[in-house]
Amino acid sequence: MFYLKRFGWVILAILLCVGFESVVTSGKNFDYVYRMCVLAGLYVTLAVSLNLINGITGQFSIGHAAFYQVGAYITGFFAATGYKGFASNSLVQQLSHIGVNATWTVQGLWLVMMVLAGAAGAAVAGFVVGLPSLRLKGDYLAIVTLGFGEIIRIVCQNQPALGGAYGMKIEPRINSMWFVWLLAILCIAVCRNLLKTAHGLPFLAVREDEVASSAMGVDVTKVKVTAFVIGAAFAGAAGALLGHFEGFVSPPMFKMEVSFMVLTMVVLGGTGSITGSTVGALLLFGIPEWLRQIEDSHHNPILVSAGSVLGFAIMLVAAVAYVRHLIHHFHGEKKAKTQRIVGTFAAALVAQFFLGMLLNLVPALRDKSWPYADLRWAIFAVTLIVLMLLRPQGMFAHHEFSVARFFKRPKEAAA
Amino acid sequence: MSTILQLTDATIKFGGLTAVNKVSFNLQKGDLFGLIGPNGAGKTTCFNLITGVYKPTSGSIVFNGKEISGTPSNKIASLGICRTFQNIRLFPALSVLENVVVGAYLRHKTGLGSALAYLPSAIAETEALRAEAFALLQVVDLDDVAHVRSADLPYGKQRRLEIARAMATQPSLLLLDEPAAGMNPQEKDDLARVVRRIRDEFEKTVLLIEHDMRFVMGLCERIVVLDHGEEIAQGPPEAIRSNPKVIEAYLGEAV
Ligand SMILES: Nc1ncnc2c1ncn2[C@@H]1O[C@H](COP(=O)(O)OP(=O)(O)OP(=O)(O)O)[C@@H](O)[C@H]1O
Ligand SMILES: [Mg+2]
Repeated sequence: MFYLKRFGWVILAILLCVGFESVVTSGKNFDYVYRMCVLAGLYVTLAVSLNLINGITGQFSIGHAAFYQVGAYITGFFAATGYKGFASNSLVQQLSHIGVNATWTVQGLWLVMMVLAGAAGAAVAGFVVGLPSLRLKGDYLAIVTLGFGEIIRIVCQNQPALGGAYGMKIEPRINSMWFVWLLAILCIAVCRNLLKTAHGLPFLAVREDEVASSAMGVDVTKVKVTAFVIGAAFAGAAGALLGHFEGFVSPPMFKMEVSFMVLTMVVLGGTGSITGSTVGALLLFGIPEWLRQIEDSHHNPILVSAGSVLGFAIMLVAAVAYVRHLIHHFHGEKKAKTQRIVGTFAAALVAQFFLGMLLNLVPALRDKSWPYADLRWAIFAVTLIVLMLLRPQGMFAHHEFSVARFFKRPKEAAA
Repeated sequence: MSTILQLTDATIKFGGLTAVNKVSFNLQKGDLFGLIGPNGAGKTTCFNLITGVYKPTSGSIVFNGKEISGTPSNKIASLGICRTFQNIRLFPALSVLENVVVGAYLRHKTGLGSALAYLPSAIAETEALRAEAFALLQVVDLDDVAHVRSADLPYGKQRRLEIARAMATQPSLLLLDEPAAGMNPQEKDDLARVVRRIRDEFEKTVLLIEHDMRFVMGLCERIVVLDHGEEIAQGPPEAIRSNPKVIEAYLGEAV
């Protein structure tokens, strides 16, 4: 009965992913959307797997792109040396009659193997990086993991066998959106299962207090290394899918920015919360992409003048400062507090409009203007700063999203 | 009666400071043993030696006939020694029940793989451990706050929770570091009852550090006194109370 139910869930997940893919591909000019959906799925996997290391086990690791890269380069290496042999292998040839069509089956089998290989390779890397975490804490561990990420990237960049700075071509290119999302779901499910069973508690305990954990019989060493290995394996699997989707791998795809982006997704969502990491990943990946597309009805980029930008910045700073004051010093009812916070932002929004008009009277500010799309990273950064100032514990804090929590009054939810 | 713990000339030096100097004492199974001494006498350091936080510079610590000095903390916990901390060290973000399950987890049998796949065996074990933990919460009278974040508990309850968490590892020797600190007289009486129950009903050996003399003298059957890392007296409460060395160490404080 249990296995039947489980089988049902797995089938449902696969159907969902395949359905999602066919919805996306049914639109016209779906190339861009398809690409975005694949990358979003990969980022969800990265964020949720980093959350296992950072949020759940409390090991401040910031070199997650390294594991992503290890997975991608391993598939790159295998694809260059082994794909032809694999496709012409007699067993594979026989199996290829099973599926929709021969190429589909052969590529699917290959992809599964590559995902496993990428995961295994990255798991080994995770084990190696996990070891220093036994002696290092906090900032020191962060530096080591960051250094490890850079070392991996620079070594690849200087290895002619791995394509050097140019990178490697990966044949065949495989569009595997449903597979990407299946991996993301698997990653989420694994983390959720861990937290649902007693086996997740030692991980949380290590985050909370290492000395007390080991006094209670928790093997701190094993827990930390396990977290690194599992987290890295998922990142490696994601890397393998990325490689086959792009058709090539190159060192700049795994720059420090990628690590920081993934880390920001986790922190923004609320370290330790799986739902938080997922939503964080979708938002942080989605916002800059969405900003890139803002244009008017004639497909011209919308311009903003320096005066408006300045006016907006000033009012935003003022609003944030006042809301922070409210958060810390307003001791009234929760409802009144929320009303005031919302009111502050509404007032600031109106004020920035007039302030912008006023500032635009200055010729130097009026004549300078930029398209929105160019400001997107600035807008992105400001959004992050505001969020972190107002809610340093992240959107979801340590909690998971649940319908019950959503409908409960705050007091009950806390209990 | 058989010896459960035997310290022989246990010594530890931190740089030039000898925090514990040639301390020797024996605990018999079923003892309710007190460890007292003025501030900085080396009591907590003794606990740290026994539970493997530090390795003694010299001397030996034998538990159930096995030398344990230098064994890592988590191994010592699985051998059957568990402790509470003077400066409460709960897992703040975890609920009261989860704190206790961490202790009980020591005895888990299903592997991590079955938990990651959420197999029935792992689910059943989780349920069993939670039930076990809940039963312990009833012993220390915390079952009504089982789902509260442990950091949100008042001080006295946090101390009781530490005891429940340590009990969950099912130790044969329980070490309590100032369990009554910060409690009011009523809470102290309740605590004394719980400790006695742990010894009588659950058949644990208990070694406890405490500054409140009324509490120790009323509860413990044998006491060892440390001062400046050295053992200055050992014996039943009556003998300790009238021992001139002990009185001197406490500078005439009413003992
Ligand atoms: N890790 C350490 N490094 C250096 N010195 C230490 C260390 N741990 C303890 N000490 C020193 O050892 C001495 C004994 O400390 P300990 O904590 O054992 O005292 P205690 O008897 O528990 O006192 P209290 O009643 O205040 O808890 C103190 O002087 C303390 O400063
Ligand atoms: Mg102490």
